[in-house]
Amino acid sequence: MATSWPKDRRLIGKDIPRTDGPEKSTGRARYSIDMNPKGLLHAMILRSPYAHAHIDAIDVSAAEKTTGFKAVHEINGAGKEVYFAGDEIIAVCADTEEHCRDAMRAIKIKFTPLEFFVKEADALKNPQSKTISGPAKSNVAIGAEATKGDVAAGFKDAEKIVEADYGMPVICHQCLEPHGLVASWEGDRLTVWASTQAVVGTAQQLAATFKARIPQVDVKCITHYMGGGYGSKFGPDIQGIVAAELALKTKAPVKLMLNREEEITVGGNRPSAYGKIKIGGKKDGTITAYEVDCHGSPGERGGATVNLGLLPYVYLDTIPNWKRKHTVVRLNTGIARAMRAPGHPQNCVLTDCPVDDLAAALGIDPLIIRRKNLPPNDDKVAQSDPTAWLGQRNNIYVRELDLAVKLSEWEKKWHQPGQGGKGPIKHGIGMAIHTWGGSAVGNLGDGQPANDATVIIDRGGQVIVQSSTQDLGTAQRTVSAIVAAEILGLKVSDIVVRIGESPFGRSSGSGGSTTCPSQAPATLRAAIAARDDLFAKIAAKFGAKKEDLVIEEGKVVDKASKKGLDWKKACAMLGMDEAKGVGAWSSNMANEIDPDKKILVNPGVSNVQVGGVQVAEVLVDVETGVVRCTNFVAVQDCGLIIDKLTCESQVAGGVIMGVNYALFEDRIMDRHTGRQVNPDMEFYKLGGIQDLPRIKVAMVDMPERGVIGIGEPPTVSTAAAVGNAVFNALGVRVPYAPYSPENVLNALAKKGAKG
Amino acid sequence: MKEFTYYQPKSVDGAIGLLDAKWGKTELLGGGTDLLDLTKEYVAQPDKVISLTGIANFADIQVAPQTGKGSVVLIGAGARLAAIADHAHLQKIFPALTTAAGMIGGPQIRNMGTLGGNLCQRNRCWYFRDEHVHCLLKGGQKCFALDGENQYHAIFTQGHKCVIVSPSTLGPVLIALDATAEVQGPKGKRTLELAKFFFAPSGENEREHVLAPNEVVLSVKIPEKEGTRNASYEVRQKQSYDWPLVQAAVAFKADGGKATGVKIVLGHVAPTPLVVEAAAKEVEGKEVTDAVATAAGKAAAKDAKPLSQNGYKVKLVEVAVKRALLTAANPGKRQYWEV
Ligand SMILES: Cc1cc2nc3c(=O)[nH]c(=O)nc-3n(C[C@H](O)[C@H](O)[C@H](O)COP(=O)(O)OP(=O)(O)OC[C@H]3O[C@@H](n4cnc5c(N)ncnc54)[C@H](O)[C@@H]3O)c2cc1C
Ligand code: SF4
Repeated sequence: MATSWPKDRRLIGKDIPRTDGPEKSTGRARYSIDMNPKGLLHAMILRSPYAHAHIDAIDVSAAEKTTGFKAVHEINGAGKEVYFAGDEIIAVCADTEEHCRDAMRAIKIKFTPLEFFVKEADALKNPQSKTISGPAKSNVAIGAEATKGDVAAGFKDAEKIVEADYGMPVICHQCLEPHGLVASWEGDRLTVWASTQAVVGTAQQLAATFKARIPQVDVKCITHYMGGGYGSKFGPDIQGIVAAELALKTKAPVKLMLNREEEITVGGNRPSAYGKIKIGGKKDGTITAYEVDCHGSPGERGGATVNLGLLPYVYLDTIPNWKRKHTVVRLNTGIARAMRAPGHPQNCVLTDCPVDDLAAALGIDPLIIRRKNLPPNDDKVAQSDPTAWLGQRNNIYVRELDLAVKLSEWEKKWHQPGQGGKGPIKHGIGMAIHTWGGSAVGNLGDGQPANDATVIIDRGGQVIVQSSTQDLGTAQRTVSAIVAAEILGLKVSDIVVRIGESPFGRSSGSGGSTTCPSQAPATLRAAIAARDDLFAKIAAKFGAKKEDLVIEEGKVVDKASKKGLDWKKACAMLGMDEAKGVGAWSSNMANEIDPDKKILVNPGVSNVQVGGVQVAEVLVDVETGVVRCTNFVAVQDCGLIIDKLTCESQVAGGVIMGVNYALFEDRIMDRHTGRQVNPDMEFYKLGGIQDLPRIKVAMVDMPERGVIGIGEPPTVSTAAAVGNAVFNALGVRVPYAPYSPENVLNALAKKGAKG
Repeated sequence: MKEFTYYQPKSVDGAIGLLDAKWGKTELLGGGTDLLDLTKEYVAQPDKVISLTGIANFADIQVAPQTGKGSVVLIGAGARLAAIADHAHLQKIFPALTTAAGMIGGPQIRNMGTLGGNLCQRNRCWYFRDEHVHCLLKGGQKCFALDGENQYHAIFTQGHKCVIVSPSTLGPVLIALDATAEVQGPKGKRTLELAKFFFAPSGENEREHVLAPNEVVLSVKIPEKEGTRNASYEVRQKQSYDWPLVQAAVAFKADGGKATGVKIVLGHVAPTPLVVEAAAKEVEGKEVTDAVATAAGKAAAKDAKPLSQNGYKVKLVEVAVKRALLTAANPGKRQYWEV
């Protein structure tokens, strides 16, 4: 039978507090770092202090004699090279953290330092040099160019053309909970308590690591609570593998969590993006051509920087002529990791900031240019599937722009750039728009959905939702409870949710905003199946036909006789049995077409692609260059909203991160030492509550579309909106984030010098 | 952190007796908000850590009224930054001090950090704080900031081999207020003007102040002068938990609308707090108007010699001085730059 969400929704879409809020706020929730099994040992990793060096020799003899020393595990031995300050060399294990540190410091390593680059500009000046690992010929890889239409003709057609530089620096992952895990072996069985976004994936990767040596290896990964991942925690990582190795070697549980400096230098970062951009358009707001030549650094191991396929960003399909060129600059710095909507914030800055500058050159309100260039609806798609993004996107953006304009009082507050008031404090308002996917994950290689959930009802009326999925702080645990409670006519607090253990079924890693759209429908199907199983098992005792049994709030009711029984009493009829349902979900199921009717089999359960519009207000002190983001409006859709409260909370969190990208965050590398000078929370600046705006979140509920992920989209356009607000305040573009006093004053000085 | 022995003597003499005559082996401990960081980073590796928290009355704040002359304020070196910031009488007479103290770090830092620790804290140069960088101040050959990442470093660099900025925001304020420190060493007590307390170090055997390794700050004395006006203004990128980029502390006597005895001291622009007499001259004997304050700011910034990345701080000096003067001259008034 086709799956669908209930039409009348008692709980879904309401403001429901996070069910594990009390655990977390009282400190009762136990995170991986809180796990201290008996006999626990501690491990740390000795890392390269150099940005690039050859390891000549490693001498652990002194370390072995230190108090409490247990074992070492070599990662990069003598004869190998290390490629950034922080690159792993050897791990040490001892009975206490203090002894572990002492032992680690007693290891002597002889290095031969080698040439390195830690700044894009330096590497670009030496495009032939190679200071990185792997087969690449040099650090600098000029990417392929792509073109649409006739760019020269497009610029010819333009009434105004703007050419300028834009960019964002490398920024670092700063999860409150660091990376790492506690590993414990019992025979062939390895249990890890890991801070991970992929409970099942982490167990699988660890199993693969030990399979050759321990054919019967059985790995269990547990992540009951997590202090954020944001894209940086998809597997055990080297530190997790090392902890498991040391646990095997020492026959004792081992804890290895990164410290803050390691977290920042090796925990993953977001690549930079710097672009020279040329954009042209007409007075009516039509963009006629866009050209970008950009570069960015994903660190030593390479990888993507911007999302090249989506550049120019939201207006890709509308701008008739564009050209893009991208150069990847590998540096001797830590590895890039996905960070909340990888590539998109950079794309948004490289697109929506030039768009505002073009509007200024044309003398029009940037709202006009945005409206004019919104991507069109695909009417064919709209006819075959009215819930699909492509058929609707123009309407959705228009609706969201209208709402953002209203909530931000744009018409009243927008002024010409540079007209932000008389005194030194200038007001500015700016806007940017974004998109993101957020679909369910598909089927795996075995043809089965990657995600499932199990719902169990016992004779006491207790309902358990079980899934191996993880709650990164996103409120997935709450979502599972809401869905089950909705279907079974219970209160959210009646549901016990057991998640975050790899044996609990199939689940995919929480990346790409896919968890809720995968898990909520799986839970829906599991709850329906469990309910039907319950009906089947109690129908006889109930004296009803199972088809006649329905759920009402707190009750099981026989439609035929109108007789109702309290939930617990009904469940008591299970006797020694229990009712159980397993539900799976995947994008394959969401997209399945009925071969006869040529329509979706399960329309409106989950969907893909969302839009969002954000408006930032700032006050810029032109004497000091200090920017304060004061007000923020975030309008966002994500299809059917399961929990409005935690959904809005995700949006606010995205905005907070985005304001930090805009105003504060900057990984600062030193050219001479090859080291990051700010691997901390002191000079790697992060805004406190006083530095953040009042955030108004407006969710555009589209229940007919089904569930779509929310984690990533709301952080995408924030930095661009803030950048545009700063431009509106000053009438001068501050080219590079962070919009710090230094960068703002330098931009103003440059403008002053030009006149 | 390297293992050390912890002591908590009951008297100042007891503490002095434990201190080594050379820097490195022993450290005093106030609130530990700086020393603990340094030891964890292996930048400080003392064998003995001597806590000052066991000494009676070390944290007292006393206000002694003097007939006809305003009061004299005596703040024990162990007084917590939060206690200074929240002191109602100090807020009235020395707003420069209480605002500066109230803006340091966050509540945790202010509740632990002490006055003595604040004055004797080590600099925040990121090369200095990185164990793996052996710079001049740690006995190495060169200053890495000179041609490195120096956006937060000194802009008054003349004659300095090490271009740190003096970290204490209380230092400039106390200098502007003509405060003195009482310190005690093996040979007894001495009184030191705050203006002579700070030092520009250039090697591993020097600190950011002039105290001997076996001297202890006991207290700071601030004379209240009749009609005193004072203020401290910080330019900060973040409002919460951040360091000032530039600070200006000012004090003067409001003499029938005119400012006399003007003191202007800059923080976070040089290896020590910087008294800028040329700026004070612009104000001396004049009414503190916008134009006068602006001129003072320009005079204060005039001799700056910034490094490769911190030219922007020169302008901040002008603004900080102007705003500090206008704040002091118009107590309680909402200023036009306030957000
Ligand atoms: C994020 C952050 C922001 C900060 N912002 C500011 C700021 O804006 N302005 C500012 O001024 N400070 C700032 N600080 C620094 C803070 O003020 C100091 O850490 C604090 O004042 C040190 O006091 P303490 O008692 O904890 O010192 P400790 O850490 O105990 O000691 C520091 C040093 O002083 C010595 N010492 C302590 N007491 C005495 C004494 N009585 N006599 C002689 N020597 C002594 C110790 O031996 C040690 O070398 C900030 C710190 C952080 C972490
Ligand atoms: S400024 Fe001073 S502390 Fe910093 S690197 Fe230079 S010498 Fe060392």
